[in-house]
Amino acid sequence: MSTSIPDTQAQVAPSSLAAKTPWRALLGRVDWPLALFLAAWFLAVVVPLLGVVVYSFFETKSFFTVYTPSLNTWASIFDSGRFEVILRTLRIAFTVTAVELVLAFAFSLWLAKGHASRTVKAMTLALMTVPFFLDLSSRTIIWRALLGENGPLIPLFIGIGLVEPGSAGILYSEWAVHFGMVIALFPTMMLPVYIAISLVDDALIDASNDLGASPWQTLTGVIIPLSLPGVIAGVLFTLGSAMAAWVEPSMLGGGFVNLLSNSIESAYSALRYPVLAALTTLIMLILGVLVLAFVLIGRRFGDLSSSFRILRS
Amino acid sequence: MKETSVSQLQLLRSRRDFLRSAALGASALALPLALDLPASRLWAAGPATVRGYGVTTSQLKDWSVMAQSIGVQMEFTGTGNDVGVFLRDVVAAGLGDQTDIFVFEAGTQDILGPRGTYLPIDTQHPALTLWERTPDEWKHSRVVQDAEGNQWGVPVIGNADSFGYFPEKLGLDPDSEEELSWSLVFDDPRTRGRVSFDRTWGYSLPMAALYLQSKTGKPFSNCADLEPEETRQVVDFLIERKRAGQFRTLHTSFEEQIQLLSNREVDVINCWEPAVREVNLKLGKDATRYAYTQEGYYKWGHGAYLPVQAGDRDNLDAIYKVLNYYLGGEYRALQARDRGYAGPNMDLAVAYARENDWSAEDIAALEETERKIARKFSKPLVSTTTPSNADSMEEQWQRFLNA
Repeated sequence: MSTSIPDTQAQVAPSSLAAKTPWRALLGRVDWPLALFLAAWFLAVVVPLLGVVVYSFFETKSFFTVYTPSLNTWASIFDSGRFEVILRTLRIAFTVTAVELVLAFAFSLWLAKGHASRTVKAMTLALMTVPFFLDLSSRTIIWRALLGENGPLIPLFIGIGLVEPGSAGILYSEWAVHFGMVIALFPTMMLPVYIAISLVDDALIDASNDLGASPWQTLTGVIIPLSLPGVIAGVLFTLGSAMAAWVEPSMLGGGFVNLLSNSIESAYSALRYPVLAALTTLIMLILGVLVLAFVLIGRRFGDLSSSFRILRS
Repeated sequence: MKETSVSQLQLLRSRRDFLRSAALGASALALPLALDLPASRLWAAGPATVRGYGVTTSQLKDWSVMAQSIGVQMEFTGTGNDVGVFLRDVVAAGLGDQTDIFVFEAGTQDILGPRGTYLPIDTQHPALTLWERTPDEWKHSRVVQDAEGNQWGVPVIGNADSFGYFPEKLGLDPDSEEELSWSLVFDDPRTRGRVSFDRTWGYSLPMAALYLQSKTGKPFSNCADLEPEETRQVVDFLIERKRAGQFRTLHTSFEEQIQLLSNREVDVINCWEPAVREVNLKLGKDATRYAYTQEGYYKWGHGAYLPVQAGDRDNLDAIYKVLNYYLGGEYRALQARDRGYAGPNMDLAVAYARENDWSAEDIAALEETERKIARKFSKPLVSTTTPSNADSMEEQWQRFLNA
């Protein structure tokens, strides 16, 4: 017996070592900070979202949640028109973001690469940060007086054919909500776009010109690709804020432009948490599909990640 | 089942604690009475403190007045009148651990009373000296009792809401007290496109139901707590009126009510009475009027409710002194003068104003408030912020907003 033990150990030890070696090698190859981040992200983001999805299959009765699974809450999302609210919110948010992008890019290009003096640049940037220190309601309510039926802007709108003479103005309409959101969200789009365009090396623009490129070719071949990180940041900030807009639809939409945040607030007033969960699930699904479409379309036009190389330099 | 057991335990505990505290409280109260100490002297020794939480406008503009009168100091945290937020704060956040008195609109007692979150009111408490003389229409109303008649609160303030309007736009005398129809809000061609309607479903749906049942002659089971099919009927009617262009806008806040009237942007608006008062301060006396109606009113009221945890504390007597103060003349007079609110025992408010040498104009305004409330309360009234059909009412209201 006493001699058999070392034999056994001698037989086991090499095989155990052989089993541990690839495992250790695998552990050695793991990027631990990344793994920990992904684990934390899974626990902090994915798990709560799964909880939200589960919660959407309950319903509310007399201000209390009934924990009996059913499809009633999902049916109510479609019966009450809340699904249309999501689509309306997305439509308005994307429209506002597109308008902002065009306006902010042109403005930023002028400010960063035009002939604006340092003083003008400093003053403009300072002015762009002022709205962040003021309450949005206070900034929005002034438009009610200006866009109302007796507002000073009405003759202008009549002149460009936006409203009929004698009508009640553009207040309490989608026009007014778009208008208010474009004004309010301009700095949110403009600031990251301006920073990105400022970082584009002037030598690259000069080189493009020296090589005979037209201004349009320099814009599309040099400036836009290199400013894409700022554009993407601006789009994300603006789109997110536009989807969460509450003040502008309330104050300028007059209750006739029911957007997501208004709908959520209403459900919250009756403590209908399952409705909130179903709305959140739907939005996540829709945004997931849109992001997928964005990536697939982006692949057809080139490698999007290459645009971020500017940030490494 | 488990929930019911917990609620019953909470109730049993609260009743035992309440009886113990009531006995202690009665002894404590008897001491200063026996020594004949005035409230101001008691306060000089250090006022008792009561912590309140509830609707901001139920507050006195200066609580030190109450401290001088009854020797109890108030630390009040104001909130809005969103019932969802209130229920969340009280139930989920356990606000009763830090709060002695909740002041909120009617309806929460239907849910929080039977669940054991509120402490039943002891109407025989020695500090509640004004209870007996308070009219039944206030102290036994659905503001402070549940459907079974259990007493969960003490009435604080209340009113019967209708709509504000510009008399000259409707061809009425500025001082007319004629009863007007709610058709001016919903149906009348004279006001088409010139009406603002409140966007809050719990406030506006009952008003629309009140009008619709009068128009069709088919009464609803309860205008404030409509059955799902009834809500659908009312919302169908509102959608039809919305598409006909009856509403100029839907408003959401008190400030908007004032702005819409001040700018003369609308001719008729279902709003709070203080909004009309504010507008008349700007546009002139009787520029706008608050309607007496043919069909009835939305009756609202704030009640003061006690968390069940208050039964464990040593300031229960001070809490009851504050409840009694809510029924008294000083609070009533100050709230009527400063905010235009009515409430129980308006006659005490008039007496208080006379004793304290208020101007004849202010006293007349108090008497007018008393008369106005009596007239309105003789009509059909709808009321509750916590209908049992809240889920279907909120859902159908979304249909109206999205139409």
